Amino acid sequence: MSNAPTAIEVENVDFYYGNSKALHDISLKIPKGLVTAFIGPSGCGKSTLLRCFNRMNDLIDGTSVKSGKIKIHGVDIYSKEVDVIELRKRVGMVFQKSNPFPKSIYENIVYGLRLQGINDKKMLDEVVEKSLRGAALWDEVKDRLDDYATGLSGGQMQRLCIARAIAVEPEIILMDEPCSALDPIATMKVEELIDELKKKYTIVIVTHNMQQAGRCSDFTAFYYLGKLIEFDRTEKIFTNPSKQQTEDYITGRFG
Amino acid sequence: MPETLEIKRLDQRPMTESLLSKNKVKFLGLGSDEIIKYFFSGSAWTAIIVLALITFSLFREGAGFFPQHHDSLKLYRLAGLEFVDYFRDQMTAQASLSRYLNELKLNKTLKLQAAGKGEAEIESLLAPLEQLRLDFDQAGLEGQALLDEMTSMAAGIKDRYTISEENRISRKQLIDAGMKEEADLLEIEDIDFAKEAENLKTTFLPKQKEVSATMAAKMKSLLAATKVENTIYEAEVNRFKATVSKYITGFDSVQMKMQDWTHDKPVPFYESITKFITGTKWVTQSFWQDWYGIVPLFIGSLTVSIVALIVAVPLGVGAAIYINQVASIQEQNFVKPFIEFVAVIPSVVLGFFGIAVLGEGIRVFTQWDMMAWVPGFPIAERLNIITAGLLLALMAVPSIFTFSEDALNNVPKAYKEASFSLGANRLQTISRIMVPASLSGIISAILLGFGRVIGETMVVLLVAGNRLEIPDFSAGLMVIFQPVHTMTGLVAQEIPEVVKGSLQYRALFVLAIALFLISLLINYVAQIFVRKYKISVG
Ligand SMILES: Nc1ncnc2c1ncn2[C@@H]1O[C@H](COP(=O)(O)OP(=O)(O)OP(=O)(O)O)[C@@H](O)[C@H]1O
Ligand SMILES: [Mg+2]
Repeated sequence: MSNAPTAIEVENVDFYYGNSKALHDISLKIPKGLVTAFIGPSGCGKSTLLRCFNRMNDLIDGTSVKSGKIKIHGVDIYSKEVDVIELRKRVGMVFQKSNPFPKSIYENIVYGLRLQGINDKKMLDEVVEKSLRGAALWDEVKDRLDDYATGLSGGQMQRLCIARAIAVEPEIILMDEPCSALDPIATMKVEELIDELKKKYTIVIVTHNMQQAGRCSDFTAFYYLGKLIEFDRTEKIFTNPSKQQTEDYITGRFG
Repeated sequence: MPETLEIKRLDQRPMTESLLSKNKVKFLGLGSDEIIKYFFSGSAWTAIIVLALITFSLFREGAGFFPQHHDSLKLYRLAGLEFVDYFRDQMTAQASLSRYLNELKLNKTLKLQAAGKGEAEIESLLAPLEQLRLDFDQAGLEGQALLDEMTSMAAGIKDRYTISEENRISRKQLIDAGMKEEADLLEIEDIDFAKEAENLKTTFLPKQKEVSATMAAKMKSLLAATKVENTIYEAEVNRFKATVSKYITGFDSVQMKMQDWTHDKPVPFYESITKFITGTKWVTQSFWQDWYGIVPLFIGSLTVSIVALIVAVPLGVGAAIYINQVASIQEQNFVKPFIEFVAVIPSVVLGFFGIAVLGEGIRVFTQWDMMAWVPGFPIAERLNIITAGLLLALMAVPSIFTFSEDALNNVPKAYKEASFSLGANRLQTISRIMVPASLSGIISAILLGFGRVIGETMVVLLVAGNRLEIPDFSAGLMVIFQPVHTMTGLVAQEIPEVVKGSLQYRALFVLAIALFLISLLINYVAQIFVRKYKISVG
C-alpha cells in the first residue's frame, strides 16, 4: 500500500472500557513521516484508538487492551518493559480543547523540559523560541512570553499546545480534533502548520472535517462502531472508496 | 429517505389557544411560580433577619461593657485599690521567689533519690537550701501582714461605696413605688474619697517604708550568710541571689509610685478598651478587683488552633490529594465516607475520649523511661494544649479534606492529561499542576478548618486545662504541654454563673463579639481565596 516505513503498527486490537468493548479487532499500519487522518461518526472509537498510542487510557480506571498489540517503531508499547514516561515523551499529544496550563506562555512551553530536570535558562530560551517558531506563534507572542497563556485567543492557545508538545521533541504527534473549536482562519493556520510539521514528525489526526482530512492527510482511516472499515491513501478514500459505508459517510449521506 | 413521522401531540389545542390559555392553578390569588418564589425568598429573608437579630443583640449587650468597665477602673483608683496593688506586686514577687526555692528543693530531692541516696543523707545535703527557704519566707511575713491590713482597708472603702450605690438605686425604686418609710431605712453614705485616700497614704506609707527596709536588710544578710559553695545547687542559688538583689533594688520605685499616687487622677475612657484588648489577666467575681484582659484567652485559642492546624493540614490535604489523585475507586469509596463520618462525632464524645484516653496516653508516654531525655518530660498536666489541639485536629480534618478534595476535583481534567502527555509522572503532575491549580481552594479549605477549630467550644472546655494564664513560652516547644483557657471555653464556663447585666455578663458578650468578628474575618479571607480560585480555573 505504501513504501514508507511503519511508525505505528496496530495488530488485532480489542479495547475495553470496563466490560464494554470500544474497539473491535483493529489492524493498521501508520506510515512514518506522513499524516494519517482518522475519520468516522461520533462514538466510533477514533479518540480511543488515538489515546492507546501514548497510553493515555491508562489514566482511566478499568480500561484495557484485552488482545492484540500496538507496536511503535517495532516495540510493543503495552509490554511490561516499556517506560510509559519515555513513551509519552516520544509520542506527543494535542487535545481537542486547547488546554494550556494556568501559567505563563514561557512556562507552558518549558514544562516538559523542566520535568526532565532541565533548568538551564539559555537552553530553555532556545527551546521556547524554536518551538514557538515551529508552531507559527513566535511573532505573535514573542513580546509577552511572561503573560498568562489563558489570555491568548483560542487559535493561539491551540498552537501554543502544539508548541508545548513539540518542545519535548517527540517523533509522533497525535492530534484529537485540534481545530474543532477554532474559526476558519485559525483552522487554516493550524492546517498550514500541520503541513509544515509533517516534514519532521509522524502525525495522526482525528477530525470530523472531511475537507480537512482531504487537504492535510496522506492516509485516511475510516471507523464505524468501533471497527476499522477502510484504510487507504487519502485520494483513494475520497475519490474511489472500496466500501459502500465509506462512500456514504464521505458524501454525507449517513449520520 | 426517512419516512415522515406523524407526531401525536398530547395537547391537541391549536397553538394560539394554548399560548393564551390562563388555566394555571391559583392559590390565594397566586400562581404556582409566584408561590415558589415567595416561599424561597421567605426562607432566605428569615435567615437574614435571624442573623441580623443575633448580631444586633450581641452588640447591644456587649456595647454596655465599655462604660461599665470604665467605671470599674475608675473605682479601682478612687478607692485606693491601685495604691495597695503597688505593694501587692512587691509581695507577690517575693512569694514567687520563695516558690522557686521550693521547687528547686523538690527537684534536687528527686534527683538525689534517683541517684540512690538515703533519706537522711538527702536531708543533710539539702539542709542549707531548706534553711534559706525558711528564712526567706520569714523575711516576708511582716510585709504580708501589712499587705493584709492595707487590703482590708481599701476593700472596705470600695464595699461601702458599692453598697451605698446599690442602696441609692433601691431607695429610688422604693420611693417611686411609694414606700417612703422603707426607703428611709436604707442608709446612703457619701464617701469622701479624698479624705479616705489621704488616710490610706498617711497610715500606710511610713509603715510600708519601714517594713520594706527591714525586709531588704533581712534578705541582704540572709544572702550573705548563705554559703553554698561546692553543693549541687550552687549555680541555681547564685542565680537566685542575683535575682533577689535586683528585686530589692526595685523597692524604691515601688515607694515612689505609692508616694506619687493620687486617687483623682482621671482614667481616660480609652483605657476601658485598651485594658480589655491588651490586658493579661482575666479575673472575675473577685472580692478585690475584676480584670478583663482578653490576651490569655486569645493566646490560648490561638495556640490550640495552631497546634490543631499543624496536625490537621498535612493530614487533611494529604488525604485529599491521595484520594483524588492516587487511590483506586474502591479506596475512594471506603475512605471518603469514613472521613466524613468523623465529622459527625459529637464534640462532647471527642472531649470525653480526649480526657480519658488521649490526655492520659500522652502523659503516660512522657513518663516512659526512654523519653526521659526530653527536657520537660514527664509532664505534669494531663489536660493541655497538645491534647486539645490533637482533638481539634480530628475535627478539622474532615472539613479540610472535603473542601480540598472539591478544589482538586475542580481542576479541569485537561490539565492533568496535558501534564501526563508531556511525560510527567504522577508526583510531578500533583506537585506542579494539581496543587498549584487548586491552591486557593486548598487555602480556603484550611481557613474554614481554622474557623471550625477556633469556634469549637466543648472540646477545649473539657481538655484544654482551663488555666487562665498566658502559657510560658520560654519553655520553647514544651509550651504545648501547658494548660490554657480559650475564648469559647471561657464563655461557656462563665455564662451559667453570671448575673444578667453585670460587668462580667457584658464582658462575655464582648468576648462573643470578638469571636464572631474573628470567624467573620476568617470566612471573608476564605471567600477571597475561593473567588480568586474560580477565576484562575474558569
Ligand atoms: N471514559 C470512557 N468510559 C467508558 N466508555 C467510554 C469512555 N470514553 C469513551 N467511551 C465509549 O467508547 C466509545 C468510543 O468513544 P470515543 O471517544 O473513542 O469516540 P470518538 O470516535 O472519539 O467520538 P467523537 O467523534 O464524538 O469524539 C463510545 O461508545 C464511548 O461512549
Ligand atoms: Mg473523540
